[in-house]
Amino acid sequence: MLTVAQERQRYWQQSSWLESSKTLRSSLLQTPDSSGEAQAFAEDSTNDVTSTPPAGVSYVSTPVMEEDEVVDGDFYLLAKSYFDCREYRRAAHVLQDQTGKKATFLRCYALYLAGEKRKEEEMIELEGPLGKSDAVNREVASLERELSILRKNGIIDPFGLYLYGLVLIEKGNQNLARTVLMESVNSYPWNWSAWSELQSLCTTIEILNSLTLSNHWMKEFFLASAYQELRMHNESLTKYEHLQNTFSFSNYIRAQIAKAQYCLREFEQVEVIFEELLRNDPYRVEDVDMYSNVLYAKECFSALSYLAHRVFMTDKYRPESCCIIGNYYSLKGQHEKSVLYFRRALKLNKNYLSAWTLMGHEYVEMKNTPAAIDAYRRAVDINPRDYRAWYGLGQAYEMMGMPFYALHYFKKSVFLQSNDSRLWIAMAQCYETDQLHMLEEAIKCYRRAASCNDREAIALHQLAKLHAELGRSEEAALYYKKDLERMEAEEREGPNMVEALLFLAQHCREQKRFEEAEVYCTRLLDYTGPEKETAKSMLRGMRTAESSFPLMDIEHFHP
Amino acid sequence: MAAASAFAITPHKVSVCVLLQMYALPTQATPPFSSVSQHNRLGLYILSLTKSYDDILEPKLEDLISQLREIGGSLGPWLIDHLTSRVSSLSSPDDLFTFFSEMRGILGGSDSVVIEDNQVILDPNSILGMFLRRCVLAFNVLSFEGVCHLLTNIGIYCKEVLSNCMPYELHRLDGSSNDLESLSECENMDLENFVFGKVNEEIEERKEATERVSFHLHATQAICGLVEDVEVVTDPRSKHHDKGTEDCPHVHRPGTESQDVDPYGEVFLRTNWQVQGYLTEQADAIEKHGGSVSFNTFELILRQIKKLAPELHRVHYLHYLNSLYHDDYFAAVENLHCYFDYSAGIEGFDFVPPSGSNNSARYEIALLCLGMMHFYFGHPKQALLVLTEAVRISQVQSNDSCLAYTLAAICNLSSEIGSSITAGILGTSYSPVTSMGSSVSVAQQLFVLLKESLKRAESLKLKRLVASNHLAMAKFDLMHVQRPLLSFGPKASMRLKTCPVNVCKELRLCSHLISEFASETSTVATDGAFSTAWLKNLTKPMGSLVLTQENESGENFHALQFCAQSSSIPRSVLQILGSSYLLRASAWETYGSAPLARINALVYATCFTDSSSSSDTALVHAKLIQHLAAFQGYKEAFSALKVAEERFLSVSRSVLLVLKLQLLHERALHRAHLKLAQQVCDELGVLASSVMGVDMELKREASLRHARTLLAAKQFSEAAAVAHSLFCMCYKFNMQVENATILLLLAEIHKKSGNAVLGLPYALASLSFCQSFNLDLLKASATLTLAELWLSLGSNHAKRALTLIHGALPMILGHGGLELRARARIAESKCYLSDPSYSVFEDSEVVLDPLRQASDELQVLEYHELAAEGFYLMAIIFDKLGKLEEREEAAASFKKHVMALENPQDEDPLLNLL
Repeated sequence: MLTVAQERQRYWQQSSWLESSKTLRSSLLQTPDSSGEAQAFAEDSTNDVTSTPPAGVSYVSTPVMEEDEVVDGDFYLLAKSYFDCREYRRAAHVLQDQTGKKATFLRCYALYLAGEKRKEEEMIELEGPLGKSDAVNREVASLERELSILRKNGIIDPFGLYLYGLVLIEKGNQNLARTVLMESVNSYPWNWSAWSELQSLCTTIEILNSLTLSNHWMKEFFLASAYQELRMHNESLTKYEHLQNTFSFSNYIRAQIAKAQYCLREFEQVEVIFEELLRNDPYRVEDVDMYSNVLYAKECFSALSYLAHRVFMTDKYRPESCCIIGNYYSLKGQHEKSVLYFRRALKLNKNYLSAWTLMGHEYVEMKNTPAAIDAYRRAVDINPRDYRAWYGLGQAYEMMGMPFYALHYFKKSVFLQSNDSRLWIAMAQCYETDQLHMLEEAIKCYRRAASCNDREAIALHQLAKLHAELGRSEEAALYYKKDLERMEAEEREGPNMVEALLFLAQHCREQKRFEEAEVYCTRLLDYTGPEKETAKSMLRGMRTAESSFPLMDIEHFHP
Repeated sequence: MAAASAFAITPHKVSVCVLLQMYALPTQATPPFSSVSQHNRLGLYILSLTKSYDDILEPKLEDLISQLREIGGSLGPWLIDHLTSRVSSLSSPDDLFTFFSEMRGILGGSDSVVIEDNQVILDPNSILGMFLRRCVLAFNVLSFEGVCHLLTNIGIYCKEVLSNCMPYELHRLDGSSNDLESLSECENMDLENFVFGKVNEEIEERKEATERVSFHLHATQAICGLVEDVEVVTDPRSKHHDKGTEDCPHVHRPGTESQDVDPYGEVFLRTNWQVQGYLTEQADAIEKHGGSVSFNTFELILRQIKKLAPELHRVHYLHYLNSLYHDDYFAAVENLHCYFDYSAGIEGFDFVPPSGSNNSARYEIALLCLGMMHFYFGHPKQALLVLTEAVRISQVQSNDSCLAYTLAAICNLSSEIGSSITAGILGTSYSPVTSMGSSVSVAQQLFVLLKESLKRAESLKLKRLVASNHLAMAKFDLMHVQRPLLSFGPKASMRLKTCPVNVCKELRLCSHLISEFASETSTVATDGAFSTAWLKNLTKPMGSLVLTQENESGENFHALQFCAQSSSIPRSVLQILGSSYLLRASAWETYGSAPLARINALVYATCFTDSSSSSDTALVHAKLIQHLAAFQGYKEAFSALKVAEERFLSVSRSVLLVLKLQLLHERALHRAHLKLAQQVCDELGVLASSVMGVDMELKREASLRHARTLLAAKQFSEAAAVAHSLFCMCYKFNMQVENATILLLLAEIHKKSGNAVLGLPYALASLSFCQSFNLDLLKASATLTLAELWLSLGSNHAKRALTLIHGALPMILGHGGLELRARARIAESKCYLSDPSYSVFEDSEVVLDPLRQASDELQVLEYHELAAEGFYLMAIIFDKLGKLEEREEAAASFKKHVMALENPQDEDPLLNLL
């Protein structure tokens, strides 16, 4: 059940959600549905309703929904059948005179969905030369009035409250929507749609903390998901791992853990999780695009092609599938085709964030910067907290030789993700360009980058180099030494090593720390190239100086 | 569909068609037109309606009805009735089909139609005929969905008139079920079958409805306060709206349109072209009126447009402008970046497409805009960085016109802020055009840049840019000496001078712009904006003009004024021309010709206020008021200031505020209110260094006034110290022209302190400065000071002093203000009096006449100190002459002024006036 909730599209979400929530309700009240999803959940939930998690928190007992409206059973069933056939207005009409809570909810919800359907159609119909105009759901106003009265009179069930919340969100009345949704989830915690609507209203941690939610285990799911959305990945991960102890077979939790790990850039772990996940749930499409990103980053051609083939066979018209195929082509270097598939993904869901960003990347590869900028900007407008798109924008402008303009975007991305060394390095490089040449600022950025786990160790090297350039040899030596230590620890060799050794040798000699200098020089002798010769001559010079004139200035003899 | 999008059929157009039908087929109607003129009037009205179909949001039925009521006279109610019933009778798609085929019948040329008696045959090629044909065509290409939408829209269009209380009812969340029922009844009302009653009844109903509405408004306000989370959207809007209309009634207020936005979000947006025109117009309005355009109202409209046309990125630019002029830095930056990210600098920005047809991205424009924004917000360093980047990118992209504009922007930047930043901000950064070393001064760099930019603009034939470059050049010539000072003091070999001839030449070259524009075929795409001008013209004179028509129905051609185009000269050209006059005025001010300065300011104030920004207009007013203060006294000046302040309520307060402080200071000094003077002086100092950066001009002004206050308080050494440091500052920032004034002040200080010998070199230095910088009036005043200094050295110098004064008198009497003239006259008579060869008994009028005039002028100024001196001299002379009566009179006046000087704390009527 929870997996269904992850659907991103609003319309899809609502329609399929109603069904699942209704099935859920019927599974609780009547006979359980025998679909795979529901069964998978039923195992979890039956485990659970009886035995709540053992932690020391006192959880509220599961509320029991009383069976009502035996009277209108026939009408209700007829309407439900119409509803399942997606004949919403017909369903609503059947229930016109019914007053039971269940019937009222079904009627209102059917009306709401009818309005949504019409809205989608109108969007296409009214598409003018200036783009799609935002059509409105015409049922919202009357629904809001009806539901508010129902709520005032206290004859509303949790599902009605959920619908009221939806309507209020559409109207832009967020505070009241939050209250209403809170009431809904507190009285009936298993409606994940209500939780996820509530989550969409929690844009800051302060709002999240201000919610008064009763201690039900669904709250844990909610908090974990909300933390993830608020970029508190570690907190979210802990929550999910805790939940996994109870729901040890849940694919949903596994996928969420993978997501958190992905955001923490632990690609190895993500890969392991997804391999297992796809073994258990081979026809899974959602979240698999993330897996494809990991495979892309690790350049696993064959695995990615296999994955693309599999999702293509499962359901080719899912945005995720298109995205995976796009990733595959991108990895193959066929950027035009890749863009084609990203475009298709966006046609299926125009608010599909990662497709916009990935398409931007493709355009950058194709050197079509204006298109890339446009794509990134759309991503940013969908979610202004998407640091990747901000970073992409910065990169695009930097590519065009506009470093100062690019800085604005780098600043944005760094603000959102301040512990990512790559962003700091990109910003530092911007400051370092010939046009700006603002070295002090660049140093500051590199320092930040070095302090937040810079994997490629660019920052230390650059810091040393910049300090050397500015004539601050003490600082330069310090950073070269640090860089050297790191390279030793990671057993890396290369030109950076030689450069560091050479500088340190010269620096120590100038500081008259000949022993140290000698150590560095001897290490330099292991390398080939002109540095070896320099090291040799330095060693010679130092030795003669030491033996004959131990107290005199070495500079005297080295013009 | 593409064809239809250019001219979409909307409910409003359907109504116009109905009106056209009524116009063309009067026999259908039961009460025919009583007179030909009435018929014609309706025709003209329809004509103006069809002309004005191009505003961004169409009028609602309600607006149309009220217009009809005004225009229709006795026939109005019938017209309204017929219109509403006809429009609301359209209830099914088929009705629409019949309606439009009927419409085709009105057109002449089709043989099938039987021509009735007094049917007016519309020529299919006339304006009305064309309109009708376009409507029919637009309807015919509609898809069935389109027809359905049209039908729904017509339903809403009519419903609003009936239930215009709806939006307010929606707020009544606590409404009882009774209300709800009636409400839903109202909503579900079968409009199609609704037959309108008698018009009178309808009017009464409407009256009732509006009364109800106002009641509900109050009620809901209270309720909204109780019910949590209900956002009261209507309130701030209406408040802003009211305020806005008070400010400047001439603008096409954005606020009026927000009323058209109905609660269902049903707005009938027009075509791309029209929206673009609207946006351009609004951009102009924002730029012209600055912060006086209400931020929220406009933001609301923009949000609406954004919702209806998400791909119209120019809206972001408008957002940017709006936040820029309301000093919201972060929103401005955000929106600017957003606009250029989406549009890549192509969409709707450049009116004149560049010579090459390259339609590639032009991000250099983004840089140019960003640079100007930083400049506006007072971040010169960032502005320079960005503009340098813009220069580089436009060179890479070979976008020459952008390069020219960027250079002009850099010139502007360095001329504004160059002097306040110690030498060479251009030097430290990567120098854009020339690789000039940092050794050259900012002024020289600026000069080179100006020349370069002018050359580039000329070669690219960017006329407006050429003109504004000429202006910048003139400004430069006005304020900068040809060679910078290398050592203290003027030397003959230095040839230090300004060139008024150059200034004049540049100004003349700038004015050529207008003749060039007259001959040039306009490439400017004004059509979009032009189309909106129709409606503006329609709405503006509707009330008054229509009423005059009622009186003299023969003169129907007045209505044609609706259609007259306002002006053929683009606003930007007018703006540049206007600023050339502004510059002329300040040039003459500097060179010391009061009448010419005044005339130029007046020309600006009368001819260019419509096209110029309100801050410029305020500046001109400030100049005129200053002039008034110098020549007619403070009373006049303060009353004029009050008028000006009311007119420029929120805009450019700073200019008027500074002026007010200046006037107050002058006056306080004259009246010897030293405390007040010091207070005002401090306030000026605060203004000089605001958050936006230091304004050098103001800073100089403030410390100059500080020194003068100290001088008036007889703290000579302190005054001298202040003046000295000021001199050093001006010297440091190459403000030589200003130094002439400071030297004169130093001379004055020494004169007052009794060290005439020390004062002489300063006076002479100032004199020679004035001579080389062509500051004629200042020179005359320096000559006067010099004469006073000579005179105070002893009576044997009186002859020399007198010659000096006589030399300066023509200039002083011709151009000087009241104070200067009075001073010169008193000095003249003192010279006579101290001349041993002069005897009062021989020719007393030589002394008495100037003294009398001087004391008159000084009384206007309330300059007690000098007036007392004048009366004292007069009293002594009268005493000598034995005219006791006059002596007593003069003595009494003397006493009055001395008393006023000694206890300055008595009541001040003028201060109350402010």
